[in-house]
Amino acid sequence: MAQLGKGRLNYRCPSCFMRDLDIDMFYDKEKDEYCCIRCQYRGNEEDVLAKNEMARFRYKSMKKRFTMEELRQ
Amino acid sequence: MKNRFIVNIIHRPEMVPEYAEKVTGQGKAEDIGRKALLTESLDIFKTQQRLAHENGLKTTIQMTYASLFNDEAVAIAKEHHEKYGDEIALTLLGLPCKEFREKYKTKDFCIWMFSMEDKISIVNDVFEKFHERFGFYPESTGSYYMDAELTNYIKETYPSVKCAVATCWEEGPKAYHTCNNSWYTLMDGGPWAPWIPSKVNTHAPAANEAEDSGIVAIPHLSRDLLACYDGNGSNFGTHPQNVLRGMSYYKEDGEYKYPYFYNLVDQYRVLGDYNNGIAYNMMFVGPGWMNKMGRWEAPYELLYQSYSDGMKYYGDLKKQGELEDLTMAEWADFYREHKNYTEPECALWKDILYGSDKQLFWYNDPFMRVCVNMEQGGAIVDLRPYAAKLEWPVGIGTPHVQDCSYPFLIQEKYRAGYFTHYAGEGTVRSAKLIHGSEEVDLCLCRTKAKFSEEVMKDEKGRTVELAKCDMNDKKGKLVLPKTKTSAGKIRKLTLEPVDIEFSDLKVKLQTEIIFGEGSSDIRIKRNILEMSDPKAELKINEYMVACYGTTEYPEDMTCVTLRAMGALDSYEKGLESGRITGIDGGNMSSASRSIDYAYKCREEYVPDASAVNASIRAIKTLVTMTGEGGKNNVGYIKEGYAFSPMFTLGYTAELSAGDTYTTTLALERED
Repeated sequence: MAQLGKGRLNYRCPSCFMRDLDIDMFYDKEKDEYCCIRCQYRGNEEDVLAKNEMARFRYKSMKKRFTMEELRQ
Repeated sequence: MKNRFIVNIIHRPEMVPEYAEKVTGQGKAEDIGRKALLTESLDIFKTQQRLAHENGLKTTIQMTYASLFNDEAVAIAKEHHEKYGDEIALTLLGLPCKEFREKYKTKDFCIWMFSMEDKISIVNDVFEKFHERFGFYPESTGSYYMDAELTNYIKETYPSVKCAVATCWEEGPKAYHTCNNSWYTLMDGGPWAPWIPSKVNTHAPAANEAEDSGIVAIPHLSRDLLACYDGNGSNFGTHPQNVLRGMSYYKEDGEYKYPYFYNLVDQYRVLGDYNNGIAYNMMFVGPGWMNKMGRWEAPYELLYQSYSDGMKYYGDLKKQGELEDLTMAEWADFYREHKNYTEPECALWKDILYGSDKQLFWYNDPFMRVCVNMEQGGAIVDLRPYAAKLEWPVGIGTPHVQDCSYPFLIQEKYRAGYFTHYAGEGTVRSAKLIHGSEEVDLCLCRTKAKFSEEVMKDEKGRTVELAKCDMNDKKGKLVLPKTKTSAGKIRKLTLEPVDIEFSDLKVKLQTEIIFGEGSSDIRIKRNILEMSDPKAELKINEYMVACYGTTEYPEDMTCVTLRAMGALDSYEKGLESGRITGIDGGNMSSASRSIDYAYKCREEYVPDASAVNASIRAIKTLVTMTGEGGKNNVGYIKEGYAFSPMFTLGYTAELSAGDTYTTTLALERED
């Protein structure tokens, strides 16, 4: 089994991201999957992107554009 | 009055960007002289400059040490200064390059972490190199953090410097954690908006001319005052790529969108409402964030687009007359013309990302930094006692090689706050209402606040005058104060009344929190507006659970002495003068009680106590609470224990409908 390398983009571990940790993942070209070397997460690009969407659950106002009136208190 | 919204846009030609070597060089042996790396870095700088200029914005170009060896970078800076009015400044970021490593034989790159001897040597080297390339010394400088000793040396040696990037707001243990405990920017506890640092401690603003370090400091980025307090600072700032890092953007109909970035800029525009009409914002994106290889999950195209959109937003605001773009040096002049030492910085901040109604109020002046949390009934959840102006040298050869944070007395994230796990207490300043065997803490009473600014009156209703000083002339030169007086002001938070329900009694209570300009006191008033049974017994317990520290881990508390002061003539005179100073055992009446902290879980109660206080020698701070109103006023002090290394200061009293109970929390230095 060859060493892990970098993938197409610099994907972070979605599982660690959700606990406020930015950990770059490394790519296993034989299995076509990204691996977190801190936790146990492994997944292909599609899975990483899906989990990243899940991580956005806490940003309930992410799509809202506040008016200046709404920002004034 | 229309707010004036001032923006600093800063770019640095960082020839070896932080991250770039790690990210783009993965799988290659380290070589910071790689031609491809240098070329790409300069290309990013040129792109950033172009995007600013295309949108009609001028910038501050902070030359790095490495860029001073690059003829093209120097030529661009000169050209853009001539053509667009950009300021040519000098940053102490971006030290790494072949020349630096060969000369200093180290991979350290954060100026505040070097020994004082090395700081002096590097500053001399960098400033003289700058002079050699441009023929003048810079007016602006900066780093992620500028310790007081470094700033003092620079100001003394290069007096032209009048502005500096001097801290990253709340970039401390949380950022360290996010970076897998490998990013050592430990600098919590500073201002989020521009300030004049004191000569003794950068984070603590100067209270007067004698304390003035001679520079106007700006924070590295304008950050989300709610999201960054709870989460990673580098995810939530007016830095488009920070927003991408936090993943608070989305894709819709094939387009990336990030309204959060614009909301953040706009909330900063609103802060003028609390600061005499002046709002400030800065953007400072290092080239490493616009890497051609992409950054985090974002491809270069998105990195570019977000920066371009950010510049366009600022540019459009400028075209609409809603924004003024200044260079750092211009901002320093503007700041000194429009501010005085004692004017606080205030921010009533609302959640713009998580969809809650949560509201925080941040207050910052030469005596304290405070966070009030309306989601917890107006509890104080963060308190930094700047009144102590604590000496805190940092760097190799000092007790704090990396830790630049100003110590807290209260920090709800690092010391639990209201909620603890099964035992002990967390740091918070709140109150409990007690009826029979039931008790309700205001931390569980969610509310909202309104901000107001009022002229300060004394007990007879007369306007209180404050000394006001002009701080410098337009050239940035310090001048003697033309002492004059101005009406002292208070900044007041009036909270919406909350309902407190006991099994057989309902109480409506309103809280007011008052900060007096030029004072190190926080006054909190609890007004009992209504009681369903006016004759019912109701008790209030005003308390502050505190400790000291800069990180998540406990400190040795044996440097703490607690005192509850009995009524005493000489002490009352001290109270009448508005300050409580120099309390020691010799001044204590027989009714007074004290505890030298030894983790023994002791408590002392003193009826009619004139004050309760804690002396925290490790941070040279004396914090004093007084309470008045109601009946049967009792002051108390509580020691903690090993599993709860805190102390508590408090007052209890019996209240009736229509009563007001007032406490004052005073901070001062104690040597």
